[in-house]
Amino acid sequence: MNAIDIVLGGFLISALRSATPLLFVLMGETLTQRTGIVNLGVEGQMLVGAMAGYAATAMSGNPWLGLAAGAGAGFALSWVHALLAVGVHANAFASGLAVWMLGFGLSAYYGSGLVGAKIDGFATIDAGAIATVPVIGSVVAGMTPTVAGALLLVPMASWWFWHTRTGLRWRAVGEAPAAARTAGVHPAWVQVQAIVLGGVLSGIGGAALSVDYTRTWAEGMSAGRGLVAVGLVIVARWNPWWTLPAALLFGGTEALSLRLQAAQVPVSAQLLHILPYVVSLAVLTIVCLRRRTGGTPAGLAAVFDR
Amino acid sequence: MRLPRLFTAALLAATVLGTGAPASAQTIGYIYVGPEKDYGYNTSHDLGRQHVEKTVKGTKTLHVENIPETAEVTKVMERMIKSGATIVFATSYGYLDYAIELGKKYPKVAFMHAGGLKLGDNVGTYWANSDDAIYLAGMAAGAVTKSGKLGFIAAFPIPQVIRSINAFTLGAQSVNPKVTTTVVWTGGWLLPAKEAEASNALIDAGVDVIGEQVDSPITIAQTAEKRGIHVVGKDVDVSKFAPKAVLTGASWNWGPTMVKVVDEIKAGTWKPSHIRGDLKDGTVNLDPFGPAVTEPVRKRIIAKKAEILDGKFVVWSGPLIAQDGQELLAAGKPMSMDMLESMDFFVQGVVGTIQ
Repeated sequence: MNAIDIVLGGFLISALRSATPLLFVLMGETLTQRTGIVNLGVEGQMLVGAMAGYAATAMSGNPWLGLAAGAGAGFALSWVHALLAVGVHANAFASGLAVWMLGFGLSAYYGSGLVGAKIDGFATIDAGAIATVPVIGSVVAGMTPTVAGALLLVPMASWWFWHTRTGLRWRAVGEAPAAARTAGVHPAWVQVQAIVLGGVLSGIGGAALSVDYTRTWAEGMSAGRGLVAVGLVIVARWNPWWTLPAALLFGGTEALSLRLQAAQVPVSAQLLHILPYVVSLAVLTIVCLRRRTGGTPAGLAAVFDR
Repeated sequence: MRLPRLFTAALLAATVLGTGAPASAQTIGYIYVGPEKDYGYNTSHDLGRQHVEKTVKGTKTLHVENIPETAEVTKVMERMIKSGATIVFATSYGYLDYAIELGKKYPKVAFMHAGGLKLGDNVGTYWANSDDAIYLAGMAAGAVTKSGKLGFIAAFPIPQVIRSINAFTLGAQSVNPKVTTTVVWTGGWLLPAKEAEASNALIDAGVDVIGEQVDSPITIAQTAEKRGIHVVGKDVDVSKFAPKAVLTGASWNWGPTMVKVVDEIKAGTWKPSHIRGDLKDGTVNLDPFGPAVTEPVRKRIIAKKAEILDGKFVVWSGPLIAQDGQELLAAGKPMSMDMLESMDFFVQGVVGTIQ
């Protein structure tokens, strides 16, 4: 590998690795919010996903089972939000906070025996002939299945969301629940589906964090990434396509802040640490100034405009 | 994560209330800022607690984890006292003022704080200097590195962390004068994702031994094990989780100090003071060597350890050159207490910024 490959390829793949857990969570939360429901509980769902995924991988030795367990745990916990926020019309913010605490507590309790457990995680994917292409080759060769999966998820979910009848129904529920109801759609049922799909994706995101990215379990290891995802939904303008650049923006700046230090660039570490947040905020400001409504689903905006 | 911590705090505090200890037995309360099973700083204190419970007959301990350094800790301490605790170990730096304040309200309760520089009528402190052990561990790093590039992953640029980085580098330079230490700050005590990424970034840049001072060495050690490089640990020995990667480390051993204090309090001879331990009295241990440290290197480190214990060698003495080449201490001059405790400079060979 030449120097450009190491620097550019190394940065690109680390940005992708860093963005991957976030991308799953962000996609889930974007789809959930498109049906008019905010779920702050993704932070807790990520944690139970990370814990369950790590436990399943440690026990079975198979990281794929870990991802499945993470998805299952996120799915199960998200039902709490579905039942509270949709089922009994509890305040979605309060319910989301409750799910967050619950996920934090449950994962800490059941995860206490997992600290230091050893797993092998995923191998990088076989890049074949692509591996010889400059820069792109080293990026593809550095990918693990979760990175590739997150990248594939974006076009798949976006296509489904914009070009299928179910996608249309979900959008209708988010924009005009009353109109959707007259068209024979049950808004509450769609919202429940969207919440548990978000649960599955945030659980996978959590498992990607513990099983693949860090290969460790630590209490509270998501360290606010779930909440970052909730914020990045706004940066992505509630558009599934835009989740990729939004997640990369955050993951890339975080990776950059650590890589610059490792590359011995003399810059203030304190300033580097706020870089991901500053960049996200700057993008948000620019987008909001240019398009005043900026893609907020009307049903969701109604929550704030009351 | 302040919010969930508050909630767990409330939950756990409620549990403490429920246990209702009999007043006859000596009850000791322990409060941790993070998870008791972090395999780092908080685990080291919990090991001390277990040692006290085992060693001192007729004691019962209460412990509460994840308590933020806010007024929350006052509530937890007060509940412990109401549950019969007569001694409280407040193990995080930011608990000090709350302990002193509460000490005035409960003059019969003894408070012990980790690392504080203030005393109360019934508030003492304990801490230990781990610089000597880190210097020795740095020697192992300097001997094992092939690239001559060491890394150090650290939470915040505060004196006790800067001391570790400098001691680690000086130790490494004593066996291999050309080594450099690249510092990466993560900006938090427990950020496993950033710790893993920082490790990978350093390894990609050619670093082959990493030192650390974050909450727990475990994420970095496991990443190093996976990537086939080495680490020097701190706070708790994690070699069983990364047997090939761990060279050695500097671990806390709080148990004996805690037992001594508890015995004194029981005997009525205790007076609040600043108890300070080190490698010599065994409050800090140099961890067992990993397989990558060869026999001649082990001998050399053990010989240096003997010199430190005898007082023949002092880590913090001149000649000491700053990062920019300026002389900080002339040859043979010892470092003043003030310079040591407010350390805000890197020594030559450290690459990174404090500001």
